[in-house]
Amino acid sequence: MFCDEALDAVEAVAAGDRTPDGRLAAHYASCPNCATALASARELERLLRQRPMPVPPAQFTARTLSRIRRARWRSEQWLDAGFNVAVAVIVLAVVAGAWTAINRSGLASVSREAMDVFGRGAVTFARRIAPSIPVYAGATALLATALGVWWWAERGERGHGTL
Amino acid sequence: MDPDNRAPGAASPWTAADERALVERCRSGDEGAFQELVDRYKGLVFALVARTVQDRSQAEDLSQDVFLRVHRGLPYFRGEARLSTWIYRIVANVCAQTLGRAKPAQLLDDPRLRGVVGDDVPRSGVVLSARDRQFSDLELRDRLEKAIARLPANYRLLVAAHYLEGVQYEDLAEALELPLGTVKTQLHRAKQQLRRLLETDLK
Repeated sequence: MFCDEALDAVEAVAAGDRTPDGRLAAHYASCPNCATALASARELERLLRQRPMPVPPAQFTARTLSRIRRARWRSEQWLDAGFNVAVAVIVLAVVAGAWTAINRSGLASVSREAMDVFGRGAVTFARRIAPSIPVYAGATALLATALGVWWWAERGERGHGTL
Repeated sequence: MDPDNRAPGAASPWTAADERALVERCRSGDEGAFQELVDRYKGLVFALVARTVQDRSQAEDLSQDVFLRVHRGLPYFRGEARLSTWIYRIVANVCAQTLGRAKPAQLLDDPRLRGVVGDDVPRSGVVLSARDRQFSDLELRDRLEKAIARLPANYRLLVAAHYLEGVQYEDLAEALELPLGTVKTQLHRAKQQLRRLLETDLK
């Protein structure tokens, strides 16, 4: 039955975690089965200690930081969108509240009368200047044409001046 | 678990005070500080992940996931554990989620695994045969990697982590919040399972 104890201790002995005492050491020396198990465990220990160390690729840091920046940008975009929606909701609420208050307080009728006065004034102004509109339009077109010709001439001269 | 211990002739050891200073700089929005953190721990993280998932392209993606979680979690990192220990926990969680298992700390004592590893390992037959010793180390290492790939995810992570230079049992116990004895026992079971799998590959 001592083999059980010896085999239980094989990994610890192979790893150096346990130093076999006299009885255990004698057993490993005398029992072929346990000695073989210990040799295998030591071989495995050697292989594990000699496993090649994976090395990160050369651009690992740069790629990692880039990914973190993108993740941070995305979360900031969501935050910005949420903030904009919140602001829009608040503005709408304020406008709706103001409109409701104006309607209920009778100011709406006052503003409608003001809008009527403004509208009538705009119509009167338009009727007065209507006969002159073609003249103004023609003058504007002539000026725009002159400016365009001048720009085109200037552009052509600059082009010929370069090599 | 100190990444500085991994390479001979590396920079001076990284103290807890250095880690705290780096964390504070990262929290203040210093992108250069976070780049320094990535540079410092990318070797440890990538090695752990690559040894666990055994797929290099996937390892890079998962390693980036780890640092993304580190970046998001830094404002909440209380500093009760070492920064390296906290990063290791994130690695363990990322690997466990990827490999479709629960968190390693829960699985390490999974009763379903007791029937698979350890208890029924044939005592007398778990040997590397003489034929194995005749093969080159290269072939043996290839068989070893394939055997490791067949281990449960939590065992794979333990084996990957323990054999990183500078990682002690105590580091693993702290990272996984397990008793030291449990970590040793689970590692021994993992290696027993490996020897059993290597024996099977020879048949």
